[in-house]
Amino acid sequence: MIAILVDGIVQGLQLSLMAVGITLIYGLGGVLNLAHGQFAVVGGIATALFVEAGVNPLAACALGILSAGVFGFVVDRTLLLPAYRSAGEERLLLGLLITLGLSFVVNGFLDYKYPNISLTLKLATPSFNVAGITVRTASVVAAAIAIVAFVLLFAFLKGTLLGKVIRSIIQNEVGAGLCGINPGRIRTLIVTLSAMMAGLGGVVQGLFSSLGTEMGNELTSFALIVAVVGGVRSINGTLAAGVLLGIVNAFASYFVGAYLTLIILLGTAVFTILLRPAGLFAYRT
Amino acid sequence: MNKDRYLADYVTLLLVAVVLALVPLGVGDSAHYLRIVTLMLITIAYAVAFNIIFGHTRQLFLCIGALAGSSAYLSVVLAIKTGLSPWATIPLGIVSAALLGGAFSYVSVRRGLGVIFVGIVTLVFSLIFHNLVLGLRELTNGETGIETKGLGAAVLQSGRGSYYVILAFLMACLVLYHLLMRSRAGTAFRAIADDEFAAELAGIDVTFYKVLAASIGSALLGAAGAIYAFYSGFISPTEYALVSVDIVVLVTLLLGGMGTLLGPVLGGVVFTVLDEIVRPLGRLNVLVYGVLMIVLVITFRQGLVAALRKIVKVRIP
Amino acid sequence: MSALIGVEGIEVAYGDIAVVRGVSLEVREGEAVAVIGPNGAGKTTLFKTIAGMLKPRAGKILYQGARIDGLRHYEIVKRGVIYVPAERELFPQMTVLENLELGAYTNYKSRWERLKFVLGLFPRLAERRRQMAGTLSGGEQQMVAVGRGLMAKPRILLLDEPSTGLAPLFVSELYRQLSRLKGEGLTILLAEQQVPHALSFTERAYVLENGGIRLFGKSGDLLGDPEIQRSYLGMA
Repeated sequence: MIAILVDGIVQGLQLSLMAVGITLIYGLGGVLNLAHGQFAVVGGIATALFVEAGVNPLAACALGILSAGVFGFVVDRTLLLPAYRSAGEERLLLGLLITLGLSFVVNGFLDYKYPNISLTLKLATPSFNVAGITVRTASVVAAAIAIVAFVLLFAFLKGTLLGKVIRSIIQNEVGAGLCGINPGRIRTLIVTLSAMMAGLGGVVQGLFSSLGTEMGNELTSFALIVAVVGGVRSINGTLAAGVLLGIVNAFASYFVGAYLTLIILLGTAVFTILLRPAGLFAYRT
Repeated sequence: MNKDRYLADYVTLLLVAVVLALVPLGVGDSAHYLRIVTLMLITIAYAVAFNIIFGHTRQLFLCIGALAGSSAYLSVVLAIKTGLSPWATIPLGIVSAALLGGAFSYVSVRRGLGVIFVGIVTLVFSLIFHNLVLGLRELTNGETGIETKGLGAAVLQSGRGSYYVILAFLMACLVLYHLLMRSRAGTAFRAIADDEFAAELAGIDVTFYKVLAASIGSALLGAAGAIYAFYSGFISPTEYALVSVDIVVLVTLLLGGMGTLLGPVLGGVVFTVLDEIVRPLGRLNVLVYGVLMIVLVITFRQGLVAALRKIVKVRIP
Repeated sequence: MSALIGVEGIEVAYGDIAVVRGVSLEVREGEAVAVIGPNGAGKTTLFKTIAGMLKPRAGKILYQGARIDGLRHYEIVKRGVIYVPAERELFPQMTVLENLELGAYTNYKSRWERLKFVLGLFPRLAERRRQMAGTLSGGEQQMVAVGRGLMAKPRILLLDEPSTGLAPLFVSELYRQLSRLKGEGLTILLAEQQVPHALSFTERAYVLENGGIRLFGKSGDLLGDPEIQRSYLGMA
């Protein structure tokens, strides 16, 4: 049982890693990124390609994540501009459609060019024993990476000026403007950062199981569920929701099987949305 | 006065019927091309349905394929397991799709959940549908799919004959669309699409009309999806995947023009031609459609019908 | 004294409806000027336009002689024109301290001295400095809003109905501090429904009704004007 719980938490942390990017991009730019899973896939596949080219695995991961960041940067500065020029619901709709189109573009390209590549990272010691429970090294490493990433993120958001500026824009864009803050430049930074976090998520997925080109949409869906349940504007909420859903996923998979689990997850998400549309941890204004 | 007002619509419907009826003659004996144009009819039907859901009431359903597919699988599996004729199971599929679509709409509207929630819930439903089909292997035969030949509905499996049957179905959809748009519901749809808040203030029951649009649209999706399954002789999850149906319908409708009668038809025809041009690229076609979708959304969102209206100063419905 | 802010014949519309029509006013350096008028007269629209959140479809807005009516609102903030809206627009999940700190965004290096100054003005805020802004009372939130505005070292402060929803004690306190600031040279443009406070605090005032200026002059004169007394001061 504990093994399942641990597994759930680890998976949950990965989900949160992906979902945080969605929360940030939506909170800052008012765009729901339906191509987020593709950022992860780009990161993962880039890593795989680098590894294949003979680059040291650790460096390959770094390069892969960087690639995801560059991709995110380019997308923000080109494709998303028309969305940013609009406001409110128009921007939402435009953002949805553009990122949806982008997800197909990336999906189509990767499917065509690298249909058989997937990223699987193997560690030296596959597992070890802790207090009688066999623990997969990959789980521990994945969890550690996710935790470090989150700690860094929180430190950044809480401690630095830029971090506070970002939080301020998410909480009240009008108020931020009153302080003289220009949200446009910050947006690009956030999209790039979110893309890199997604890339990291992709690499970690490769560590944990494997990441293939077709997983883009699935990753996006999971990230969306987590973000929505936690509250699309709350970063704490996203972390909590991810871990929660990760645990639900782990237990449900064990007892009920992978396919029905998905329904349970969606059911949980829909249930939460109905009860608390702003998300479980959203601030009630 | 009223007769004149809808003259353009009647003429259009007639023209569409005639032109589409002549298409098989242009195709000659090629079974391959006959199949392609029949598929075109189905795509147009999907687009008409999505037009009602999204084009007219701005509900971004990202589960077009899943709704069509759920109805199709229900009809096929029921026909196999119970031995009922498809003509009995297809209506069941239609009803189930309508209920699902209506439920998604109701939940979203009632809770005041905006575009993003509809998008997320429906997108996840697509994923669920796909996984369900794979998971309930004993019923659905998973990825491999099921053969639907010999289950009945022979008229749908007879080459040219089935083209005309499906054409009749499509014309029925278009007529339904026309009647819907000229009814009180149509006025309500236009008001909602224009400014939902103002419509609410003006006393329009936004919830009712949005759910109505979603249900009718979903019903049409279910019908087209099920009919396609029996026509095709074969059903599998990839036929109803996001990359097979949703993107096609989105591009078709954006190309043709949302909120119009002729839009889905024009879009469908142009798309089918494009599809043929892109065929040698194999699986790269998804990329092309993605690019096309982005370009259309940014630059040409009004679609062909709107563009034509500017060139030909005639009322094109 | 030169005009710090000059508004010349501006017209602002929401869609097709003109909400502010042919309004001209000026605020000279060191002055405190009031804009009074009933609800819906267009005071907030006027202020938002000066602050750059809305664009006038006719007329100009000058600041220190240069036009600012085309600029984005965050650029106008950099020039020292600070708008404190009636809705306050605070950051609810950030502490009082963080809210104030962000107010100094355009002048970040000098934030600590500004903070000392602002907390000195509003000791209540000093007590609550680590509290989440969203949990404060209405009066305290208003203080944070004004304080945040002051953190930016404004040349001119645009205060939109600062006394809204405040208990009388708070209102007096607020105006007391504003007088202090005025004494130190801050230029203030004030929109108010609480007319007595507004007129006694300022030197000059404009009366805005239905999107247009109906009257203007010295605040003292307006206080004595029988029409004003009837319409706004509840005297027969």
